[in-house]
Amino acid sequence: MVRRRDLTGWLFALPAVIGLVAFTVYPFVASFYLSFCDYDIFTSPRWVGLANYHTMFTRDPLFWKSLQNVLYYTVFAVPLGIAFGVILALLLDARIRGLSVYRTIYFLPSIVPVVATSVLWMWLLNPRIGLVNTLLRLAGVEGPNWLADPEWSKPSLILMSIWAAGGTMIIYLAGLKDIPISLYEAAMVDGANTWRRLRHITLPMLTPVIFFNLVMGLIGAFQYFTQAFIMTGGGPLDSTLFYSLHLFFQAFQYLKMGYASAMAWFLFVIVVCITAVVFKTQGRWVHYGR
Amino acid sequence: MADEPGTAPSRFVFVRLAVRLVAVTAAIVFAGWLFFGYTPPKRQTLPGRQRVIFWHMWTSNWADVVNRIVDRFNRSQDRYEVVPLIVPPTSGSLKTLIASVGGDAPDCMGQWDPVIPAWVERGALTPLEELMTPKEWQDVRYRMYPAVREIGTYKGHFYGLSTGMNIWAIYYRPSHFLEAGLDPNRFPETLEELESLADRLYRYDAAGRLLRIGFLTEWLAQWIAVFGGSLYDPQTNRLTLCHPRNIEALAWLTRHSDRYGFERLLQFRAGLPSTFAADWPFLSGAYSIVVDGQWRVEQLRQYGPEVDYRTVPIPPPRGGQPLACWSNGNFMIIPRTARNKEGAMAFIRFWSGVDDPHRAAEFYTWGGWLPIVPEITEAPAYQDYLRKFPEFRTFVKIMASPNVQVSPPTPVQAYLMNRLSWAEDAARRGVLSPRQALEQVAGDVDRELANFLLSRETDRQNAKTP
Repeated sequence: MVRRRDLTGWLFALPAVIGLVAFTVYPFVASFYLSFCDYDIFTSPRWVGLANYHTMFTRDPLFWKSLQNVLYYTVFAVPLGIAFGVILALLLDARIRGLSVYRTIYFLPSIVPVVATSVLWMWLLNPRIGLVNTLLRLAGVEGPNWLADPEWSKPSLILMSIWAAGGTMIIYLAGLKDIPISLYEAAMVDGANTWRRLRHITLPMLTPVIFFNLVMGLIGAFQYFTQAFIMTGGGPLDSTLFYSLHLFFQAFQYLKMGYASAMAWFLFVIVVCITAVVFKTQGRWVHYGR
Repeated sequence: MADEPGTAPSRFVFVRLAVRLVAVTAAIVFAGWLFFGYTPPKRQTLPGRQRVIFWHMWTSNWADVVNRIVDRFNRSQDRYEVVPLIVPPTSGSLKTLIASVGGDAPDCMGQWDPVIPAWVERGALTPLEELMTPKEWQDVRYRMYPAVREIGTYKGHFYGLSTGMNIWAIYYRPSHFLEAGLDPNRFPETLEELESLADRLYRYDAAGRLLRIGFLTEWLAQWIAVFGGSLYDPQTNRLTLCHPRNIEALAWLTRHSDRYGFERLLQFRAGLPSTFAADWPFLSGAYSIVVDGQWRVEQLRQYGPEVDYRTVPIPPPRGGQPLACWSNGNFMIIPRTARNKEGAMAFIRFWSGVDDPHRAAEFYTWGGWLPIVPEITEAPAYQDYLRKFPEFRTFVKIMASPNVQVSPPTPVQAYLMNRLSWAEDAARRGVLSPRQALEQVAGDVDRELANFLLSRETDRQNAKTP
């Protein structure tokens, strides 16, 4: 009888399973095979062994440039995103009038489509008529040429990433609600001030949520693509040629599908390794309240 | 108890399960049909005719022009029906390539991306001369303007027949000349002379910010042609990115940027609207002299009929080439796996006008396109158009020039042109000297080309091995 019930379950799940196999498992396995092939869509894949990986490490200077760009972005954007998310959540956890309105306002940017956000920020960062430089000008500072200056292009995109901190803020808010009130009561009885309660109760109890957002943030940062594709196209001077963007150009502009697959698998390995390292360290800093 | 065999509830469960099974199977079959068996309805409206599937990337007003030409073709004969389909410009080339591999290629495609060498190397295109009689091919080949022949040719075969080329020349505002005390009827004949007067056309605010660019220079490939340089040597079949005149062209561009401040120019231009149609900053007077394509004549008619402007060929520097520019164009290709190549070729002949220039001349005036053979230029319809838009004559004159250059016929053409932009950017920003920038890009392109050729050679060897 259990078998029949299982069968019914599988039948219902079958469309999703078929979709998963056809559109996730198959491409996943195929891309691994293709990473060892020379493949340009038009001719059949030809086995070349490790040649794509060899080219990647030794003959493609833009590979290293794109890796450097994505590491720079990750190192700054992920911690900043976490910091802003936590700060926003703490501010919006306060008991003030119109709290739900503030929460909605801060959350809204994270549900605006990335393309719309990118176009909006292109205007905000416009060096001549953009809001950012106009405000700087009022303060007597001549702002930089944000997206068109190789020195400022990556910081501009990092600045823009903070815009969507409302998405993680909601998760931090949920985490804050989960902290037992008794801990604060006990701390207050012991005479702990606000800073000490934050330092020794709130933040430690929030670490599981921070850990989750750190892992998701790292994975997302390494795959950073859309904003750079729309706003800078990888320029100026390859300063925003992020790893996924370089991979995209190799695959869909130059039709080097095998090479792009090798790049994708190397990215996968990087992300897995970094995630593993982060998981390994969680015992030292993540508190599950046990 | 409900699951006990032989009882009424058990039979009910069985029926319910059977219904679910049928529903799920139907859903799977439907999904399978959608993915593998479904052919979207084609918009064929003339039954009994052979269908010619035509993909193109023109949108908005241009798409209307294309549809008019298609209608005219469909009415002109009773054998074929051309069915047009717009594919997105950003991914049209890739879609066509994938469709060709998948066995559902269009019969012909209107292209402008630099695809011919790369696609030919992959065996994706049909040589068009195979679809012409030897007499027709000889005739067409020698009548075409040089740039039209070059843009469609790769390794001695002809793969893309243009239906309108793009030529760049100078647009300038006479009112700005008058304002600066210059004679608008005497445009400089050398680049040196032009540079010396351009200074007087720039305008700044009290803080030193630009209000108007006197002479907008950009796009290295244009200036390479004007300086008499070259990206490719047909005699040796080699790329010549570091040609001394190319370096001179880039050095001149860099000096020009330095003179007015590269950052300042960037900032000013960032504050302008897009360069599309009615937004083109020349219309609002943000530029006094600018290098742009012939389609602006039509846009000026539509969006700035009050704007007084003139066009002239780009004046060459000492040792440069007159009537020179870099050119690209719209051209028609036929994928190797197309089903109706004859029909596609009939349509291409009709539109391009190689069989009847007088008939096709009208199409070129609809799109504001440049003719591909002198007979179209001389056709009454085109002459009427030139009388109506005298500024267009500049472009027609350049079109016939042997100094017009097209992108080098190399399978890494797209990569080369991208890296060339990078070299221009690096030199103008002062990151590298013009020579260093071009040498670095030449090295990158050589490496990319070597990889490509090695890959194709291995494919050929494997194909020979039984």
